[in-house]
Amino acid sequence: MMSTTIKICIVDDDEIYRFTIIKILESLQLPTKTTTFSDGEQALDFISDHLDQDYELPDVIFLDIDMPVMDGFQFMDEYEKIRSRVGKNITIFMVSSSLDPVDIERAKNIGAITDYLVKPLVSVQLRTILEELIQ
Amino acid sequence: MSTSNSNPNLQGEYNKIFIEQAPTAIAMLDNEMRYLAVSQRWLKDYKMERQRIIGLSHYEIFPEIGDDWKEEHKKCLEGAINTCDEAPFKRADGSIQWIYWDVRPWYISEGIIGGLLMHTGDITHLKEREQEKARIETILEQTNEVARIGTWEFNVDNNKIYWSKIIREIFEVTEDYKPDFETSLNFFKVGRSRDKAKNAYSNAMVDGAPFDLELEIVTAKGKNRWIRAIGQVEPAEGKENRLFGIFQDISKMKFSEIALNRAHSELKAIFNSKSIGIISTDKDGIIKNFNQGAEALLGYSASEMIGLERPLIYLLKDEIIKFKHDIALSTKKDPSNFDHYTDLSEEDVNDTREWTYRRKDGSTFPTLSTLSAIKNSNGKNEGFIAVTTDISEIKNVQHELLRKNRMLNVAEKITLMGHWQWDTIRNVVKWSTNLYSIFGIEEGLTNLTYETYFSFVHPADKEIVTEYFDKAANDKRFYSFTHRILTAKGQLKTVQLMGEIITNDQGEVVEMIGTCQDVTEQKMAEKKFRGLLESAPDAMVIVNSKGKIQLINKQAEKLFGYPAEELFNKSVETLIPERFIPEHSTQSEHFFARPRTREMGQGKELYALKKNGQELPIQISLSPLHTEEGLLVSAAIRDITKQKIAEHKIIKSKENLEAIAQKLRHQNKQLASYSHITSHNLRAPVSNLNALLSLYKQCTNEAEKIVLFEKFETVIQHLTSTLNTLVAALKIKNSNDTEDLEDINFDAILHKTKEILSYEILNSNAVIKSDFTNCSQIRSNRIYLESIFLNLIGNAMKYRSTDREPHIDIQSTLEKNGNIVLRFKDNGLGIDLERHGHKLFGLNKVFHRHPDAKGVGLFLTKTQINSLGGDISATSKVNEGTTFTINFN
Repeated sequence: MMSTTIKICIVDDDEIYRFTIIKILESLQLPTKTTTFSDGEQALDFISDHLDQDYELPDVIFLDIDMPVMDGFQFMDEYEKIRSRVGKNITIFMVSSSLDPVDIERAKNIGAITDYLVKPLVSVQLRTILEELIQ
Repeated sequence: MSTSNSNPNLQGEYNKIFIEQAPTAIAMLDNEMRYLAVSQRWLKDYKMERQRIIGLSHYEIFPEIGDDWKEEHKKCLEGAINTCDEAPFKRADGSIQWIYWDVRPWYISEGIIGGLLMHTGDITHLKEREQEKARIETILEQTNEVARIGTWEFNVDNNKIYWSKIIREIFEVTEDYKPDFETSLNFFKVGRSRDKAKNAYSNAMVDGAPFDLELEIVTAKGKNRWIRAIGQVEPAEGKENRLFGIFQDISKMKFSEIALNRAHSELKAIFNSKSIGIISTDKDGIIKNFNQGAEALLGYSASEMIGLERPLIYLLKDEIIKFKHDIALSTKKDPSNFDHYTDLSEEDVNDTREWTYRRKDGSTFPTLSTLSAIKNSNGKNEGFIAVTTDISEIKNVQHELLRKNRMLNVAEKITLMGHWQWDTIRNVVKWSTNLYSIFGIEEGLTNLTYETYFSFVHPADKEIVTEYFDKAANDKRFYSFTHRILTAKGQLKTVQLMGEIITNDQGEVVEMIGTCQDVTEQKMAEKKFRGLLESAPDAMVIVNSKGKIQLINKQAEKLFGYPAEELFNKSVETLIPERFIPEHSTQSEHFFARPRTREMGQGKELYALKKNGQELPIQISLSPLHTEEGLLVSAAIRDITKQKIAEHKIIKSKENLEAIAQKLRHQNKQLASYSHITSHNLRAPVSNLNALLSLYKQCTNEAEKIVLFEKFETVIQHLTSTLNTLVAALKIKNSNDTEDLEDINFDAILHKTKEILSYEILNSNAVIKSDFTNCSQIRSNRIYLESIFLNLIGNAMKYRSTDREPHIDIQSTLEKNGNIVLRFKDNGLGIDLERHGHKLFGLNKVFHRHPDAKGVGLFLTKTQINSLGGDISATSKVNEGTTFTINFN
């Protein structure tokens, strides 16, 4: 059972996407706290900085694939290295507008990835995910 | 005779008395040829003592006087004188009386002839003696001639030698040959004969000793002869100045004597021989002689045997009975109770046969013995002599020979072979047993000649057979050949003849010997093999272990352009291009070391060399052929020119297909990239639009709606920009126009780029260095090239390190393959290629958090370079700089 407030982390370089997700999450009226990062490196740095501080660590990460500096897959490679030391079990969704089956297959083969979601994420989809997490 | 007219009557009386008393034969005749007076001698010579002839006519007394004499008398009565030293007077009784005469007239008075005075002499006895002497001399001469006796004389004073005709003949010198002492001595054979001759001469000269020697001479013509030389001295005035004598040619006698001596020695040697047994008996069968050979053969001593009656002791009874029977028949005697000792008196017996002799120790051995009758001077049989040799060895050899002959017969039967001998001088031919069988005739057929053999030769082959035998006789070498025969039983066979030529000392062919093998089956097999070979679809070449071609089929003749005869026994390398020969030799050795059916030169391209020098691609299958001539290799050769052309076409097509596939893959990749770009770069803003629209619909707050609308604008701008880039890229990709290509100077392009970026260059203190010396220009699209320079130099300044002034080095090089390579090296921020390398040239891919980074420049640059047929790559180190390398194909 999760804490009542779900800490959501949006990792995406697309500013509009980040904006719309925050808006959708707000519209869901669920106890969430959203943090955003514009590339994988920033998100990884944050997790690395808060490994033992599980209250700071996100419960769920919506991770874009195509990003500058560090893309989603590179993030996962690095995250794997620190995963054992991460203070909680973070649910990670790979999110992309790409329908490239190579990307989809690759993402699904990564054990720490829960699912591959195709943009745009809609409110029903987010609600279901978050409610499952809350339960 | 003188005349006187003082008292003619008295004178006449005196004359008569004188005539009558004259010791010689004188007759006085008147003019009428009547006797007036005759001497007693006249009457005696003409045997008329008791006749009264006075007053009778001379012609009446001698009626045999012919007219010729009468004519002479007339002439004398007229005053002529007729004399004759000797003349035959053929008397009336037929006898010849040799007389001489002197007939002349006598005168009554001066000039008046009273008649004739005849003075004759009977010289018949002298004449007869003379004739007898001549006859004796002739006989002597003839005897000398027959006895080959010649006379010689040596005058010591003048060193002159006289040789009679016979001596010249003996010495074989010409009639004008003039011998002297020295040269005549040289005719005596060097050694004993010459020494003896010299001694004889010395002794004769010193002591006057006569000599009688047998000496050997060497004639002028080099023949050896024997002469008997007899000589003696004729002293004159107390010194020996003449040597004379005879030489008799005694060669025949001497040589006979020598031959006789030799024969005697030989006979003696034979009798003393230890290997030939000689035993003689007298007419009663008592052994008289038992030589050493007989002792050695039989183990008995002569003393043990001589005196024994009948040699039954060492003979087998059965053989004696058989011998007696045979001898009885041969001498036409009754065989029953026949005994050759008692029943033969003067019949010739000369019997040679094999006997079994029994030795003293009881062992027996085979002998060959000739038994002959010994005859006395009256031709009566005195006994027998047996000459015997031990033929054990011969028998062994005979047995061995028989055994070998039997083996040869068996071998000949197995190999279907026979052998023959042809005495070409006598045209006598001998065949082995199996040769009769090959020709299908009975072995008993005798009097074989070349014609016998020739009669079996197939009519169509007779000419070639004659040619071969003629050639063999001419070349003195027998060439092996095959021909067909029709046997006595009508079978058609093929035979192979091999042979040798035998010549005499003069090099003339006297004999041919050889073999004749029935190769019918072989020929059939050969024909079958030939048939198979010819029916093979491939060219077939059969080679021996020395690499010599033994057989090729028609297909091979056609393929290589050689007639089969030309290639026979030629090296197989004749058919191989020179560059393949070394490898072929090695491969050939390997094959013969481990012969097995296999493809030659697997995986390698093989070529054959035709007679016209043309090469053609081939495929070869090798198979070992184990034959009587050793291991052969059969090579099935297939011309694969068509396959090669097809293969070439296939390869070309494959290459084309691969090129097309490559192009398609490239296009697919590009399409995939496009699809990705489309899906990502278009789907992202579209999904944003959808999300914004959804929010917008739900939004009730106007202020929020404005915010949302601003977001719409951003997304739409982004989408527009992306679409513009994609359109630009599509334009680049679709541009395939070579018309836009021109020769562009790198310096000019750089110069223009620097002008465009002059502000940034000035602002950043950038140092741009270039080196286009290796390659100053390129044939390309000017717009693209300007864009490429602008993007890469622009990026270098945009992503420069804040720690240092930007340095940009641009260099062009012309590679060995003709490609032009451009390098842009900077000392900027660098890119983590491990992390971003895969999306370095992707659309909207940025690797920095740089505000100007849009991820379009490198995408378009790569698209442009690709469209020009080149490619771009990068090496980089973070915070050290990046080098972009463009390879223009």
